[in-house]
Amino acid sequence: MKRLLYCFGAVFLTVTFLPAAPEDDQYKLGPDSMVKADVPKGTVKQMPAWTESKIYPGTTRDWWIYVPSQYKAETPAHVMVFCDGGGFVKDDGNFRVPTVFDNLIASGQMPVTIGIFINPGVFPAADPKAKPRSNRSFEYDSLGELHARFLIEEILPAVKKDYNLTDNPDHRAICGNSSGGICAFTVAWERPDAFRKVVSHIGSFTNIRGGYVYPALLRKTDKKPLKVFLEDGENDLDNQFGNWPLANQDMAAALKFAGYDYQFIMGKGTHNTKHAGSIFPETLRWIWGN
Amino acid sequence: MKSKTWVWGLLSWALCTQAQDTSLSEYLVEGEPWKVAVEGMVFTDGLCVDAAGNLFYTDVKEGKGIYKWEAATGKTSLALDHLPGISGLQIGPDGRFYACHNKEQRVIAIKPNGDVQVLVTGVKCNDLAVTKKGFVYFTETPTSSVHVITPEGKHSVADQGNVVKPNGITISPDEQTLYVSEHGGTKVWAWQIQNDGSLTGAGPFMTMRVGTGKETAQGDGATTEAKGRIFVTTETGIQIFDPAGRLSGVIDKPDPTGKVVSVEFAGSKHDVLFVAAGDKIYSRQLKTPGYFR
Repeated sequence: MKRLLYCFGAVFLTVTFLPAAPEDDQYKLGPDSMVKADVPKGTVKQMPAWTESKIYPGTTRDWWIYVPSQYKAETPAHVMVFCDGGGFVKDDGNFRVPTVFDNLIASGQMPVTIGIFINPGVFPAADPKAKPRSNRSFEYDSLGELHARFLIEEILPAVKKDYNLTDNPDHRAICGNSSGGICAFTVAWERPDAFRKVVSHIGSFTNIRGGYVYPALLRKTDKKPLKVFLEDGENDLDNQFGNWPLANQDMAAALKFAGYDYQFIMGKGTHNTKHAGSIFPETLRWIWGN
Repeated sequence: MKSKTWVWGLLSWALCTQAQDTSLSEYLVEGEPWKVAVEGMVFTDGLCVDAAGNLFYTDVKEGKGIYKWEAATGKTSLALDHLPGISGLQIGPDGRFYACHNKEQRVIAIKPNGDVQVLVTGVKCNDLAVTKKGFVYFTETPTSSVHVITPEGKHSVADQGNVVKPNGITISPDEQTLYVSEHGGTKVWAWQIQNDGSLTGAGPFMTMRVGTGKETAQGDGATTEAKGRIFVTTETGIQIFDPAGRLSGVIDKPDPTGKVVSVEFAGSKHDVLFVAAGDKIYSRQLKTPGYFR
């Protein structure tokens, strides 16, 4: 398990994010991202590794569940799923989601929400000295309903065994960074009956596996009942897959054209989550607000 | 400006060291186009390489046997006679050639002196890959199956029905993952190789670029670069996938109207890409070497 975590960490850091540059270091966490003594803490539970996926056969993945202290079994909780969940759930990361949830739920600025933090799958190597093969790009960058089905058919039913989750798609959100950002959008785009709130940070709406088509699809497709938050930075990636700032601007323009309820925040950062982390409490207030 | 330079420095550091976000400029050398390495054949195929970087190849239509292009001189010769119709070739850990003897519907191992051992008969073997441990994996295109032969000589079907007309086949540098290209589809499939040689976790891990107006990518030969990137010949060119399975570049075919089939790194530093293209084999100097097991 430890090795798996280590490997995930390595993949998470090296594949997805570059070290913070000065453009990123201007962004600091605010008080809502800090533990407050008078605020009740929810619980974070690491679940047994998910090893029996039928959607992604042969993969294993780590995942965690956050339950706010205000949760009551008789009241269905709102749901927020995090791609690359290991990074979001950490108490010393750029997001510190459990702490932010504690603070905003306690102050009534967001609903009582269960957080589900899921890492992408890896294929374990037969040789213990070899690294597992990451399935992250396949799961996150691919278009289509596969990842939505993974969440709807495998993960949500597993969480529902122990917790009372809402079935109202307006009360279900999904969030991710980079390839996890486009994954969050893809899940809601494919299954608005299940997820209607999307938070994408430095989203890879580029041509890694065809995701650059979304602005075109948005403009010509019957409007879906989604609420979409996009964040990016002016100094984000420009590589063989595309130009991240342009792609996110294109997404925002298409969401505007098609009449979506959306918000687009462009910072100065690189392919890094410091900016997104610094505004995350405000993002949550908006995505869960009316 | 200074801070931007720093960002780009970091970027290039990340790109170089992680073998992930790598664009074509990291492979191709300015002013080094495709060159003709071998000509006068009919249908070249079966490219493979030895430790010294010599290239071996066949002519599946009119060839007599296994031919050799010498890394030191660039001269060509017939290395092993009386073996017509080989479509896939690799040198195994025991120093023997392992060959898809397509014409005879068999898989064979050939000693450098020409002694032939028949490993399997009655198979329409197209291309093969041999692991360091001596497991032979081969594609059988018409039956959409991938076969394995263990070092003890036990033959079985490792995967059937997943891959649409499997063709090219190659292995990751850590020998943990097998890749097979679809000739009749758009995917490159991947599996984890288990210790007993069986394959698990089948998935259409990579999506090939498809030519405008075409329904299949016509994936053909495949080989592995030192950092684990997979090179696959297709109708639109030689497609490069990073270990995350992302298409990160396409090298043009030497002849835009011709086909490319087998592909291999050879040359004394293993950093020249060779591609079998009909009656010729072309070579192109790259910045990066192939993985040689």
